[in-house]
Amino acid sequence: MSYREHIEQHIDSFPEMPPLCQNLLGYLDDPDVDFKTIKDIIQFDPGLTANILRMANSVHFGAARQVNSLQTALARLGTKSVFELILSLNVSSRLQGSLPGYGLQANDLLRHSIWTAVASQELANILTMKHTGMIFTTGLLHDLGLLLLDPYLKTERTQFNRTLETQDKSFDQAERDILGMDHAEAGAIILKRWHLGPEIVAGVRWHHQPEEALEYQELIYLIHLADMLSLSEGIGTGIYGLQFTVSSKTITTLGLRKKHLEAAASTTLDKMRELETILT
Amino acid sequence: MTMIIVDIADMRISDNPDETLITYSLGSCLGVAVYDPALHLGGLLHCMLPLSKVDKEKAKNRPFMFVDTGMQSMLTEMYACGMRKNRAVVNVAGGSQVLDNQNIFKIGERNFTVLRKILWKNGLLMQNQDVGGNKSRTVSLNIKTGRFSIKSSGKVVHYELS
Repeated sequence: MSYREHIEQHIDSFPEMPPLCQNLLGYLDDPDVDFKTIKDIIQFDPGLTANILRMANSVHFGAARQVNSLQTALARLGTKSVFELILSLNVSSRLQGSLPGYGLQANDLLRHSIWTAVASQELANILTMKHTGMIFTTGLLHDLGLLLLDPYLKTERTQFNRTLETQDKSFDQAERDILGMDHAEAGAIILKRWHLGPEIVAGVRWHHQPEEALEYQELIYLIHLADMLSLSEGIGTGIYGLQFTVSSKTITTLGLRKKHLEAAASTTLDKMRELETILT
Repeated sequence: MTMIIVDIADMRISDNPDETLITYSLGSCLGVAVYDPALHLGGLLHCMLPLSKVDKEKAKNRPFMFVDTGMQSMLTEMYACGMRKNRAVVNVAGGSQVLDNQNIFKIGERNFTVLRKILWKNGLLMQNQDVGGNKSRTVSLNIKTGRFSIKSSGKVVHYELS
């Protein structure tokens, strides 16, 4: 059996999306749903409610005035942002463990994921892109596939080390060559099973090969760029270091200039630290 | 031996011979170690962006985020602790970059260019440097001996005082 077939079988045993998020997902696209319905779903969990309020008051999610109640958080931030908060709180625990195959210590992947989520939003703001959908969630989940591939990295460590020594190709290309699948595809398969919508799935699927995407280019290039910036700043880098390739169409697709990257990096750090204290 | 962790966009100074300053996971960021052997006084800076003009407000609160304000603040503090320029030993590592043929991710190279200018203006020489490539590096400075160490891809290289 090939590695790809092994991995596809392994996906069946990967945990489902948290039940609370599944419930809320059903209401996201329903224009008639009122805040009270959503509040009723959430409020049975006081710990979650407290964390939602901490997140709602963080600099990143930026409620203009202090938010003290769940209903106010929903009204101020909107259903979509509250869903993003809840999914972040639920998924973060899965991103906290160490991944020995990839050489990531505890919390490295979470830190990298939060940085990418915040930086993608910061870049969208700097580049004045308004319709970026659930970019924070996409950024947070972009490397979920590492959880699935980690055991295979350990098995094939010698081959991966050879790639890292010769530095002749991007690490995601090495994953495709050695395992028949990269972590971006693995993550997208999980999220498709979670029914998270085509936009998030595409953002995760093509975050290392944005030029291959047929839709949602802006979102995908933003996630790609934020991920590259995160790696570049050394946030949660594993055995692969900075051995990933920036797509050659990034500048033209996003209208990007060097100063945009540095501006995004400078504003991302403090927001990332604040969210990290809430999510760990 | 106590390890004192220097976070990203931060700097620490020590004259305690039982301490080692360490900073993890340098990508395009620079780890700059300055050491005065006569005083066993060392400083380690982890700066991430070249010039503070990109965000002057941020530079006031976090001077160590930028190479220019970070180096200036570190040197000022170390001179205040008695460091002499003619004894200062400077070691540098980091400045990596992702694979990028559009050259938009030259943050590491720009960081190093700005650092060299600042060192030149201050009349300071670099003793050792390990800069560039696409690897992540962890560096440390032993306050007792002044030994500068770089760990990358599981291998450690030590630079003793010459």
